[in-house]
Amino acid sequence: MKTSCWIKYCSLTAFVAALAFFVYLVDASKALSYLSKDPLACINCHVMNPQYATWQHSSHKNVASCVDCHLPTDSMVDKYLAKARDGWNHSVAFTLNTYGQNIQISDDGAKRVQANCIACHAGLTETIRSNQDRYHDFSGAPAADRKCWECHREVPHGRVRSLSSTPDNLGVREL
Amino acid sequence: MNKYGFLMIGSAVALAGMGLMANSINGKQVEREVLTTLPVVKADGVESRNDEWARYYPRQYDSWKQTKKNDKIKDMLEEKPQLAILWAGYGFAKDYNAPRGHFYALQSNINTLRTGAPVGPVDGPMPTACWTCKSPDVVRVMEEQGENEYFTGKWARLGEEIVNPIGCADCHDSSTGDLTLTRPYLERALEASGTNLDEITHQEMRSLVCAQCHSEYYFKNTEYTDKEGTEQVAKVVTFPWSEGLGAEDMERYYNNYGFKDWTHKISKAPMLKAQHPGYEIYKTGIHAQRGVSCADCHMPYKQEGSVKFSDHHIASPLENVENTCLTCHRETEEEFKQLVKTKLDRKEQLMEITMDNLAKAHLTAGKAWESGATEEQMAGVLESIRSGQWIWDYSIASHGSFFHAPEETLRLLGVANEKAQQARLELAGILATLGVTDYQIPDFSTKEKAQKLAGVNLEKLVDEKNEFRELLLKEWSEKAVEAGRLNPATREGMSDKTSYNQ
Repeated sequence: MKTSCWIKYCSLTAFVAALAFFVYLVDASKALSYLSKDPLACINCHVMNPQYATWQHSSHKNVASCVDCHLPTDSMVDKYLAKARDGWNHSVAFTLNTYGQNIQISDDGAKRVQANCIACHAGLTETIRSNQDRYHDFSGAPAADRKCWECHREVPHGRVRSLSSTPDNLGVREL
Repeated sequence: MNKYGFLMIGSAVALAGMGLMANSINGKQVEREVLTTLPVVKADGVESRNDEWARYYPRQYDSWKQTKKNDKIKDMLEEKPQLAILWAGYGFAKDYNAPRGHFYALQSNINTLRTGAPVGPVDGPMPTACWTCKSPDVVRVMEEQGENEYFTGKWARLGEEIVNPIGCADCHDSSTGDLTLTRPYLERALEASGTNLDEITHQEMRSLVCAQCHSEYYFKNTEYTDKEGTEQVAKVVTFPWSEGLGAEDMERYYNNYGFKDWTHKISKAPMLKAQHPGYEIYKTGIHAQRGVSCADCHMPYKQEGSVKFSDHHIASPLENVENTCLTCHRETEEEFKQLVKTKLDRKEQLMEITMDNLAKAHLTAGKAWESGATEEQMAGVLESIRSGQWIWDYSIASHGSFFHAPEETLRLLGVANEKAQQARLELAGILATLGVTDYQIPDFSTKEKAQKLAGVNLEKLVDEKNEFRELLLKEWSEKAVEAGRLNPATREGMSDKTSYNQ
C-alpha cells in the first residue's frame, strides 16, 4: 500500500513534468509558427537563411511567400499533409545534422513548386502547356519533364545556393 | 502498481527524449545567433572612417568605392541659366552642379561657392547644418558634442572634424551592423507625420536610411542652454512633415509659421527653397505603393563568386538594368531605357517652360518695383511667385523625380507654371497702371548674362574660394590626419573637379 502510493505520486509527478517540458519544447521550437504562412517561420532553422535572403531580394518578395510556391494550394488537406511530411523530414535532418551545405529540393517538393509555377503563371504557360502534346515523339522521356527553373535559373533563389552564400544579410535578423 | 509503473517509465523516457531535443534546439539557437550576429566594428560610439569598416565588409566597401568613378562635373547653371535668376540672392545662384557619387559628397560641399570662403572657424555664410548629409563624421560629432551643439555655429567650425565622405556609419550601427536612423530629425519628423517608430519594418528601413538625407528640410532656429549655461540658438535641420508629405502640405506648414529661406534679390518675394524631396516624391510613385524600397533598385543584390551581398555602388539603376529593373520586370533593357528617356523628355519640356515663366516673372516684378510699384500692388504677385517657385523647385530638386513619380512631377510643374503665368498677367496690369507698356525682358540665355542679372560676381567668388582651398582647407585636412580622423590613403586617386576650375 505504502509502496503503491509512492509509485503513484512519482509517476504522476513525472507525467506532469513531461507535459510541462512538452509545452516548453513546443515554445522553444516555435512549432506552432509552422501552422502559419509567415515566411519567417522558415528561418527558424537558420539553414534556410540564404533562401530567405535571396527571396527577399527577388521579384517574388511582394507577391508570393514560401508556402505559395512550396506547398500545394488546391486543398487544405493536401497542404497540411505536405507540411507534415516536410516538417518531419526537415526536423530529422536538422536535429541529426544530416543536411548538406548545398540543400537541394526533393522530387516531391519540386513537383509541388512546378505545379504552383504553372497555376500562378497560367496565362504565360498556356502556350507551353498546349504545345507539350505536339512535342511528343513517342521515343523517350516526355518533354514535359523539364521544370520552370531549368531555364529561369535565377528565380527566385539564384544559382549559387549554399549555407555560406549570403553573409551580412540584415533581413534574416527580423526574428 | 503496473499502470503507474508504466506511466512513470513512459514519462521518464519522454523526459529524457525531450531533454535531448531541447538540448539540440538550444544548440541550434546558439548557432543561429552566431550566424546572424555581425562583427562589432566599434563597441562604443561611431566608427566614421569607412576604411575601418572594410576590415569586416570588404565587398560592401569595395562596391561603395565604385562611386568614386562618378566624378563628372555638370554645371547646371551653364545648362539652365534661368536657374541663376530663379535663385537670385541665394547661394544656388552662384554655383549648382548635377549630383555625383557618394564618394564626392563631402568634396562637392567644400568646393561649392555656396559655402563661401571662410578664413576661420567663426567666418563664412553657412551654418554647421550644411555638413549634415555629407559625412558619417556628422553622426560622430552629434554623439560627442550633442545634437544642438552640433547645429550651432558656422560651417567652418567643423571643417577639421567632417572629413570622411558619406559611408557606412550613416546607415549602419557601428556595434551591431543593423540599419539605423542616425539623424534624430528624421525620427522627429516621422513621429510628427504620425508614424510609430516601433512599427518600422526592415523593408521600410531600407528606404528610410536614404530618407535621412534625400528629403526636404529647412533650418529651424532652436534656442537651448549649453553645458556652460550660455543661451544659444542652433540652426537645426528639420523636416516640414507635420502637415503631410506633399508639396502643398509643406507649403502650408511654412506659411503657417511665416517662414522664408531668403528674399529674392530681383522680385523681393519671400522665397522657399526645396531641398531635394526625394523620399517624399518617391512615396507618391507606383514603386513605393508596391512596397519596393530605395535599396531594391539602387543597391541590388549582387553575386560575386559564391557570395551574395547588396551592391553598395549606389547609382542609377539604368547603369545596371539587368540586376535592378529586370529582377521584376520582363521587358528588355532597351525598352526600359527608352521608357525612362520618354519620361525625362516630357519633364524637361514642361520644366523649361515653367522655369522661363518664373524667371520672367521675377524680372518683370523687378521692373515693377523700379517703376514705383507699391507693396500693396505687389502682394498678390509675390505670393504667386513664391508659391509657383516652391512647387516648381519641389518637383525637380530631387534625383529622378520624373521617374520616381512621373505623374506627380508633371502635375506639380503644371501647377507651378500656372502660378508663374498668373503672376506675369498681374504684373502686366501693374506695369500698365505705372505707365510701362514696352518692357522687354532682358536676355538670360547664358550663365554669364543670368548671373549678371542676379548680381553674382563669379570671378570674385572663385578667387576667394581658391584662396580658401589653398589655406584653410589644407589646414583642416592636416589636422584631421594628425588627429586620426582621416586616413589619407582613402583619398588616393580622388579627382578634384569643380565647375570653375576645369
